[in-house]
Amino acid sequence: MAPRDSTISQLRRGVLEFCVLALLRDGERYSFDLVRALGDVDGLVTSEGTLYPLLGRLRREGLVESMWRESTAGPPRRYYTITPDGDATLRTFAAQWTRFRDSVDSLLAQGATA
Amino acid sequence: MSTTAMHPLAADYLRRLRQAGRNLPAGRLDDLCAEIESHLAEAIPPGTSDAEALSVIERLGPPEEIVEAEQPPSAAPTAGDPRTWREWAAIVLLPLGGFLFGVGWVAGVILLWSSRAWSTRDKLIGTLIVPGGIAAFLPVLVLAGTAVKTRCVTQARSAAGAFVPSARRCVSAGGPSTPHEILAIVLVAIVVVAPIAVAVHLARSAGRLT
Repeated sequence: MAPRDSTISQLRRGVLEFCVLALLRDGERYSFDLVRALGDVDGLVTSEGTLYPLLGRLRREGLVESMWRESTAGPPRRYYTITPDGDATLRTFAAQWTRFRDSVDSLLAQGATA
Repeated sequence: MSTTAMHPLAADYLRRLRQAGRNLPAGRLDDLCAEIESHLAEAIPPGTSDAEALSVIERLGPPEEIVEAEQPPSAAPTAGDPRTWREWAAIVLLPLGGFLFGVGWVAGVILLWSSRAWSTRDKLIGTLIVPGGIAAFLPVLVLAGTAVKTRCVTQARSAAGAFVPSARRCVSAGGPSTPHEILAIVLVAIVVVAPIAVAVHLARSAGRLT
């Protein structure tokens, strides 16, 4: 695992933005809630803080929108929603990911039985 | 409210983030700090123990890593060479722009400081060595000229009455000898060589931010 660490982290980085979009598919979430949800998934995020630059990129690419709102208890929160563009991007990725995953899985399974 | 009640460890983390991100565009850094501040306030409410606060900070990761994650998309639009025409213009204008009535050098400094290809240290080097660039050598040349002339005048006087063009005599008089002349030549060398060396350094260091 260790020698190919950078490959894994690149893979992780590549799919993270789609994981963010997936978490927003069912409705808005505020950034801390989003970051903690991703941070709690096993093996997905090593440093939660690096998700904030990712959120910024998704905003600039127009895949998500955000709005700061006062909270009744505690600090102001930044709420994120997915845009139609983000939704389309997520759908495209989900279809490709399924094919990609199945192909890799079948090759790995062949390797295991050979 | 959230800021005043901030845990000292959280406040310290924010300070480190600001420091690590000082080379980011101001808007990006402010945005990032607002998010992280909100995260810290949310995860470390008043009364949280130091140990709990530390574990929140550990989960966030080192501030440098966050700044690094912020950087790639903000780099120059041309993904390859960070040296766009603006960087090259700065590299050329800093040593030579002074000849354009000094305005060129000022333009070089503006381009240097507005670029994100260089660290603050490199920007200071580019500005301070040598203000005005090679054109700054003009006053030194005048100084050197004065030193030479002074000696020629003395020599012309000693050549009692004979009309010899003093300039010729000076050339034939051989290399520099007075401390003034040596100093002038050293100054000229520094003022010409230093800006060129700095320009070469800037051309090489562009984009290699520490």
